[in-house]
Amino acid sequence: MKLPATSSSKAPIKFRMPTADNLVPIRLDIETEGQRYKDAFTWNPSDPDSEVVVFAKRTVKDLKLPPQFITQIAQSIQSQLTEFRSYEGQDMYTAEKIVPIKLDLRVNHTLIKDQFLWDLNNYESDPEEFARTFCKDMGIEDPEAGPAVAFAIREQLYEIAIQSVASAREIKISNKKGRRGAEHALASKAGGNALDLMKLFRYNSSVVRKRKEWDVYEPIVDILSNEEVDALEAREERNTR
Amino acid sequence: MEMSQYDPISKPEFELYTIPSHSSKSPSFPPFLLALLCKRKIFRLLAEKTFSQQNCPGWFRWDDIHERERIALKEFFDGSSISRTPKIYKEYRDFIINKYREEPSRRLTFTQVRKSLVGDVSLLQKVFDFLDQWGLINFSATSGDNNRDSLEDKKLKDQAKIEEGAPNGVRVVATPNSLRSISVPNGGWDGTGKAGAAASETGFKLPPLASYSDVFGDLVKLKGLKCGNCGEQFSSGCYENSKQGNFVICEKCFKNGNYGENKSMDDFTFNDRLGNSCTRGATWTEAETLLLLESVMKHGDNWELVAQHVPRKTKLDCISKLIELPFGEFMTGSAHERNGSSCPPESTDSVKQGPVALSENQEVIKVEDQVQEQMNETEENGDAASEKPPAKKQRTSLLPNAGSSLINQVALISTMAGPHVTAAAAEAAVTALCDESSFPREIFDGDEDYLANGLSMLSESERAHQADASENKENQSESQDGLPNKNEIPLTLRIRAATATALGAAAAKAKLLASQEDREIEHLVATILETQLKKLQSKVKYFEDLEMIMEEEYTEMMELKECLVEERIDVLQRALNAGVSKWRDYTKSLFGSVL
Repeated sequence: MKLPATSSSKAPIKFRMPTADNLVPIRLDIETEGQRYKDAFTWNPSDPDSEVVVFAKRTVKDLKLPPQFITQIAQSIQSQLTEFRSYEGQDMYTAEKIVPIKLDLRVNHTLIKDQFLWDLNNYESDPEEFARTFCKDMGIEDPEAGPAVAFAIREQLYEIAIQSVASAREIKISNKKGRRGAEHALASKAGGNALDLMKLFRYNSSVVRKRKEWDVYEPIVDILSNEEVDALEAREERNTR
Repeated sequence: MEMSQYDPISKPEFELYTIPSHSSKSPSFPPFLLALLCKRKIFRLLAEKTFSQQNCPGWFRWDDIHERERIALKEFFDGSSISRTPKIYKEYRDFIINKYREEPSRRLTFTQVRKSLVGDVSLLQKVFDFLDQWGLINFSATSGDNNRDSLEDKKLKDQAKIEEGAPNGVRVVATPNSLRSISVPNGGWDGTGKAGAAASETGFKLPPLASYSDVFGDLVKLKGLKCGNCGEQFSSGCYENSKQGNFVICEKCFKNGNYGENKSMDDFTFNDRLGNSCTRGATWTEAETLLLLESVMKHGDNWELVAQHVPRKTKLDCISKLIELPFGEFMTGSAHERNGSSCPPESTDSVKQGPVALSENQEVIKVEDQVQEQMNETEENGDAASEKPPAKKQRTSLLPNAGSSLINQVALISTMAGPHVTAAAAEAAVTALCDESSFPREIFDGDEDYLANGLSMLSESERAHQADASENKENQSESQDGLPNKNEIPLTLRIRAATATALGAAAAKAKLLASQEDREIEHLVATILETQLKKLQSKVKYFEDLEMIMEEEYTEMMELKECLVEERIDVLQRALNAGVSKWRDYTKSLFGSVL
């Protein structure tokens, strides 16, 4: 599973989740006959697809949902897996890439806000482990919080990975046109939302943040009251309509 | 994360037992000793930490990066990226350690650290875990982390019950927490630790933790793989009963149709894997064993890595071999302690071990000596438990034991201070006890001298034969046998006196050390002052030199100026002499400008 860290080498990396485990984040939001089922989990794309239906059946049985859900769940998972696989085999980024990950989520009564940096070339990174540490360090008791944090990280990493596939493709195209264009595209596109590494890790600058910046990167965890949760849910409901 | 955080293998305590790799390769180094050391590691891994004596590991230097760091965090040193350089590593490291030291009693968490550091969080966590493993941070933190962990474990278990199997994203590993809970003294481990083969007979029970059975379940099966039908051990494939997971029968029985009672052919599935690994790992040459031990020393309980360094052996082979290796001493020693009904309470034992270990730290003793000493210790413990004077009554046999370990300790402490100091301390202690109540005075009046002499004698003998515990014991028994003859009761008092003596001796030693330290500090301060003075003097001299140079330059310049003026006057003179009238105005102005 683990790939050697080929960071500065120019060889492009084939598309995969930029983490130790190549797990795809799957999000489900299905509404049928007045019942709504929302869920988020990860799926191993190398598992046989027959598992999807088995999983859907079991989920519906466990949650006592109407049987119509089975096909919907299976379809949703399948389509998300297909999307993931459509990127497989394509080149991702070539350069170093460290991206900021921002968390802003609510799990039941826990509100989590945080931001940190993530190295897309570190194929030993483990969002689940990170989330576990996070919950332990912050004293979050809700057992659902950890998986939610890990999932949020995975979702963002997935998004970035898809973007970089697109930009890698553009670079390829412009490479054919001419060298100058390629360099330009590399600077503008591949850079994208990645941070300017030269600026961050300059020899003369310190990797220790300034004290006043600490608050910005400080994780915030709030425990909401029942009323606040209700108000938030009502607002979310309104926004979706 | 829990894995590495509590991984005691890499705790600095083992620094004492680390042997340079060249010596472990040399044939003169006995393999059993290595086994002992490794076993000790494992033992530590299993046992609850009794006390944390780790300060900075010996290799750590603020101004340097050790080889260990280079190996463990090699991504910083392969020059692969601008975001991972040795300089950045050092900055991370120093910041984290300093952050912890701001408040050493509190447990520093990764989340607290990462907000102040720029960089990939996964990488930061790796650095953090590395520092944590080595006890460079959180070495004296006293938060209720254990409780929280066990809570988490419980939660994990609950979750596992609800869900059907572990979720995709979660890897099930045996956290050291679960290992720790195994080592809870229930006697079960002693049996398996000693001989894996006996495991099946002694009725080895798997603790309820799921992660435990995940890791060790296979192992146990491996050990006790016996045909459920004919009772023979087999090494090739086997058939497993799918209804009764533990019931296996050998190939022969399966082919012959002997499935056992109430079982049919359909219930069995063929299982080949276990058998194969069993046969391959069955034979261990000495060289392989050495390699295994070496790699265990290096990689701790990371069995993947360990197995990589041992050719032709799998992970399971390595684990089982390590369990099979002889190291009964520690396990049996502790078992004796627990089983002995009338032996001294455990508290005295732990007290005893504390200072011993400390003194060991102070004087750097060679590894061999240490092991020897520890063996002596365990022997002593065993003796203390088993060798009870049969003639004496229960009460008297109980107390001398408690006293013996105590006096042992006093003797040890008193060796640190001189015999005179010890004698004085003993005297003072006795006087203090006498002041407390009048009763002991009567007792002590008679044999006061005896006690003091006995203690100082003891300390002297300790000094002479520090490692030789047996003689020491003789002395004790002498003093103990002699004392009760004079009086019947004063054993408790004697113990108190001994305790007080020990404290006095320790205090004296501390005083000695403190004064020595003081002198050293004074000396250092004086040196510093002297150097500063020298510095100032040299500076003054330098300035004087500079001034002289300046003066010289100045005079030179003045001379040059004069020279110039003279030349100009000369030129004008000549012009006037030539009598060019046209130039008059010009020369006038020129003359003026010169002046």
